Amino acid sequence: MKKSLLVLIICLLSFSVTFSQLGEGIPREKTLILTPVTGRVSMPSNFNAFTSTYASPDRGIQEVMLEPLWCVDFVKGEIINALAADGPIYNEDFTQMTIKLRKGCFWSDGVEITADDIVYGIETTMKFPGMAYHDQFNLYVDEVYKSDNYTVVFELKKPNARFHANFIDRWGAWRPFPKHIFEKTKDPVSFDFNPPVSSGPYVLKDYDQAGYWTLWERREDWQKTPTGMMYGMPIPTYVLVYYYGEEMNQIIVQSNHNLDMTALTFDGFRALLKRNPHSRGYQLNYPWIVNSDPATTGITFNNDVYPYNIKDVRWALTLAIDIVDYIGIAYDGAAPMGVLHVPPTPIYQKWYYEPLEDWLRNFTLDIEVNGQPFKPYDPSATLRAAQYARERGYEVPDDINELKEMFGPGWWKYAPDVAEQLLLRNGFKRDKNGKWLLPDGTPWKITILAHPNPTAAEYRNTLAVTQQWRNFGIDVIITQTEAQATLQPLGNFSVTDAFPAGNSWGGHQDLHRVLNAFHSSFYRPIGEITAGHAARWHDVRLDKIIAEMEKLDWNDPKNSELGLEGLKILVEEMPTIPTFGYPGVVAWDEYYWSNYPGAENPYSVPWHHWPNLKYMLPYLEPTGRK
Amino acid sequence: MLFIKRYLLPRIVQFLVVVFVGITIVFFVPRLTPVDPVQQVISQITSQGAFMDPAAVDALRQSLTELYGLEGGMFQQYFAFWGRLIKGDFGPSLFQFPTPVMDLIMISLPWTAGLLITTTIISWIIGNLLGGLAGYFKNKAWAKTLDNISMVLRPIPYYIFSLLLLILFAYLIPIFPSAGGYSVGRRIGFNWAFISDLLIHSFLPAMSLVILGIAANFMTMKLIVSNIVAEDYVMYAKAGGLKESTIAFKYVIKNGLLPQITGLALSLGQIFGGALITEIVFSYPGLGTLLYGAINSGDYNLIMGVTSLSVIGIAGATLLVDLIYPLFDPRIRYR
Repeated sequence: MKKSLLVLIICLLSFSVTFSQLGEGIPREKTLILTPVTGRVSMPSNFNAFTSTYASPDRGIQEVMLEPLWCVDFVKGEIINALAADGPIYNEDFTQMTIKLRKGCFWSDGVEITADDIVYGIETTMKFPGMAYHDQFNLYVDEVYKSDNYTVVFELKKPNARFHANFIDRWGAWRPFPKHIFEKTKDPVSFDFNPPVSSGPYVLKDYDQAGYWTLWERREDWQKTPTGMMYGMPIPTYVLVYYYGEEMNQIIVQSNHNLDMTALTFDGFRALLKRNPHSRGYQLNYPWIVNSDPATTGITFNNDVYPYNIKDVRWALTLAIDIVDYIGIAYDGAAPMGVLHVPPTPIYQKWYYEPLEDWLRNFTLDIEVNGQPFKPYDPSATLRAAQYARERGYEVPDDINELKEMFGPGWWKYAPDVAEQLLLRNGFKRDKNGKWLLPDGTPWKITILAHPNPTAAEYRNTLAVTQQWRNFGIDVIITQTEAQATLQPLGNFSVTDAFPAGNSWGGHQDLHRVLNAFHSSFYRPIGEITAGHAARWHDVRLDKIIAEMEKLDWNDPKNSELGLEGLKILVEEMPTIPTFGYPGVVAWDEYYWSNYPGAENPYSVPWHHWPNLKYMLPYLEPTGRK
Repeated sequence: MLFIKRYLLPRIVQFLVVVFVGITIVFFVPRLTPVDPVQQVISQITSQGAFMDPAAVDALRQSLTELYGLEGGMFQQYFAFWGRLIKGDFGPSLFQFPTPVMDLIMISLPWTAGLLITTTIISWIIGNLLGGLAGYFKNKAWAKTLDNISMVLRPIPYYIFSLLLLILFAYLIPIFPSAGGYSVGRRIGFNWAFISDLLIHSFLPAMSLVILGIAANFMTMKLIVSNIVAEDYVMYAKAGGLKESTIAFKYVIKNGLLPQITGLALSLGQIFGGALITEIVFSYPGLGTLLYGAINSGDYNLIMGVTSLSVIGIAGATLLVDLIYPLFDPRIRYR
């Protein structure tokens, strides 16, 4: 009995080969394994990602199966022409848009991709309410037709200089689908598109009927895809998108080299580094994060709720924040601070922060300190952040330009004394314990409507700002709820951690998308859902700028100038507080694959779940390990 | 006839009332929360980064409200729901539109049923058998050892225990997979290659449920049996010189099983709720994560589908226990 038990234990311990998730015939060294962010696929047999409610586009569909017309690259700051041969061509009054298609692109079943696919796709989308972009196209498209096999013309119902934005893939866009497949179905909304036909460089090999994984195989005719034409052959033979579940599971799996690319929390990533010497982040050392993500985070006031409808109050709450301490609480200092309503990515620093540097340094608030107008901008915050990191034991460079890329170019001064002046002149006062009272004498209590996920960047903002404002003497409480996505557009909050502005393009200087969310036409009173920004703030000056931008081509230099003017208004009014750029953390395992697009060689968008993955794959290098 | 009138009919009526009230509650509760499924879908689309012209968002909201059948008052929707339910249709999932809810449930249900029915029955049989024997032979060394093991295992929170198994056997000694129901590239089929793969993938989730399930059943059964052995009829049987094994199995354990049968039936009825923590820790497919996702996204129809099955399952199991109880307990039969 004892002998057999011993044999069993020895057998278990001598099982030196790690359990592989791959079946026979799928060599690990030829397979790139990554995780989706949308979780397990609820309807695994459905590949029709062209409907408005398809929930799992990152099971490989957008990354390797489909090519869009255009795709954003926020690292290089460019728009990639994918199935489109060139940029959009508008007529003078922006009532007509023409798209020239790339020649020689084929669906994976051998049928050429032509203007017929686009025309059919747009018409089908407009006809069926459940198709994605149905409403946008019905709002704007009067007619769509082809002028030849590779040219599509849109006649628009009203001028729209940014109609092409509907086709630019930035984690979603209207993407062409094959006419010869879809025209055989009666209802394209309920059609499951299985097996799917690809326009991208990979085809479906297999999928888990329980929804955990989807396996893709490189097309033999990969040369007939935009990816192949522009960048060459994708190196991995297989791409496996596997939902491994919670972060701890992902750490375990990458430690066992069964997961090449994933996204973790900052703390999760540090835990992984201790377990797997082959894991790396976007940056090789602290702060590790992806500093080029085109989303900015911060705090949003409900500008329809007293006292946040007062500019002085919003500014006072801004100046009550010590940004270095704030980012320390949120991410142990590893997040790039930015004062503008666009994130301080390397490309955005060049486009927006540097041109506005002088303006920011000379910007004054309507209040005096020592007899001088108060200048709130603090470019030295970068150096303070670097010092914080050093004190925490991290190695950071001395070069100011490198530091700006790491920590951002600066932030607002920590000036609680000025904040106090701003509040006092509006009738606020402190009680005997130093706690702030509203002008009517009642205690000032701020309830922050917080993101339900405590690891989300939004929630980290809530956590940090709560500490800052409590230090300043305000009673702050946090309310976390899954209903946040409904309550924010309804305006049922005072302060929340919604992103402080509309999402930027990342790959283009046009700021219409950032500013337009604040247009007064989207304003709705509290209790009515707004399609604009949840802050419920608007300004006639900004409306005018947006209207002027809409009359210009998005490449027009004047469009960029108008965008900068819009950013200045947002700074002056501070309807929301931008704090730091989205500090995403990627975890890449270099056991089987190397040459990921890290900060030292940023040749592509680093996110594995973005549609740009297919443009990264030709550059990956196998390490030779088996 | 008297049995039908006094025993069967009241219980069937009770079953129908419980199902009706339960389903009515799960219809109204999600609708009383502030989560709006249409807004959740729109927020998902806009937050992911794709361009969405704000002017089109309002139009999309209207389109989705119409598609989802959320127009009209709550009671109008309620009556429409019962109309559909009678035909066995829970409607389309709002977050996987237009996929029928039943299709989504049928993808996850076999995994949940396979895992939970098996583990519940195994842990019930082993736990009760060992618990019964340990309760009867409580002074034996092996009974004390089992009792000590159970006392150590039982208080461990399930999440911690399952995590421990995962770290131990999927990371430190990686002999079992850490996720999924079967290997990538494996074809589902009734063959040994697939079945063995399935068993390997389900081993850790199953063990986590079985071990703690055995411990729970063991302790309850031991307690029940400990009380029974002190009863007069057991003493009388011993005094009468009956064999210990006869007394243990025929007189003590059999009697001790009565409340445990109720527990088993209720446990089996609860499988429709899934095993959320098991599914999350082991990334194992099932109804738990399906329901969890539906609650977070406000997918009313999917919530209704899963919870209605759960209500029917538990009420049905209770009814079944009531109906078969006379077979185990002659006192009810004779009453």
